[in-house]
Amino acid sequence: MTKKKTAAPKKRAQPSSQRHTHGQGHCMDLLRQLSAYIDDELPSDICREIRRHLGACPNCEVFIASLQQTVTLCRHRPAPQLTSVDRMNMRRAILDAVNVR
Amino acid sequence: MRVPAPKIPPQRPAMQEPDGFDRLYRDHVDLIYRYAYRLCGEAEAAKDLVQETFLNAYRGLKDFRGEARVSTWLYTIASRACIRMRRKRKGEPEHALSLEEFVPTSEGEFRLQIPVDGLSPEEALQNKELRQALDQAIDKLPEKHRMALVLRDMEGLSAKEVGTIMGLNERAVKSRLHRARLFVRRELSARGITHHDDHKSGGLRS
Repeated sequence: MTKKKTAAPKKRAQPSSQRHTHGQGHCMDLLRQLSAYIDDELPSDICREIRRHLGACPNCEVFIASLQQTVTLCRHRPAPQLTSVDRMNMRRAILDAVNVR
Repeated sequence: MRVPAPKIPPQRPAMQEPDGFDRLYRDHVDLIYRYAYRLCGEAEAAKDLVQETFLNAYRGLKDFRGEARVSTWLYTIASRACIRMRRKRKGEPEHALSLEEFVPTSEGEFRLQIPVDGLSPEEALQNKELRQALDQAIDKLPEKHRMALVLRDMEGLSAKEVGTIMGLNERAVKSRLHRARLFVRRELSARGITHHDDHKSGGLRS
């Protein structure tokens, strides 16, 4: 359910030698731009830079995959339907209120 | 389920005619109920909001110039009514989400995951625990962030349309949306939702 450019969330954490401090530099820049990246609103050179960073930073890769999944779940969350009785009752209540007020 | 708003040309609904209201109601009640349910999180409050929306639409028709789509106009009325109704119920102002709240402070927090690997979104949402966590996370969002997320990610509107409805520029919409997504992501991933087959207990907000 991830887009192609973010589709590598299953890769496990790299050894600690490859970790780096979050809250600084690229990771913070990335965090600010993640929604724009997911929504394809960034220029191609920035996207390339982000992809390069994701390839080198497993934490950010997992983070963006989980954010993409969040958006996808929201998009697919079904909403309930009204019954025809509900539609009819509400219509009547609205018209009654119009006449009263 | 990302259902775009119906594409209809700008027009002024002819509610002065006896059947004008019925046409407006018939064509849009399902759309507004879906939106209201997503904002309110439960059926009775959503029905109240739908009634308030169409009542206001009826009374405000004389001010509708047909510059926006009818659906955008109704979304706007519903959004304002929702804010008024919530304020009456809750009474207290809500805090704004800051980006700093979502900066993971540990590697473990950064790497929290949502249990959807290998599943389609529809299959993932069969997991009752995940479904409830998603609904609760959306419900916990401050009003203005929830509205941006519901309109953009659930109703499928563009950032520009959301801006029209909420009276914001696109930049402000995107900022609220981003914070809302980060909030929901953290709520979902931090819950430790387990993988399990829950296909038989499908249902809404159950």
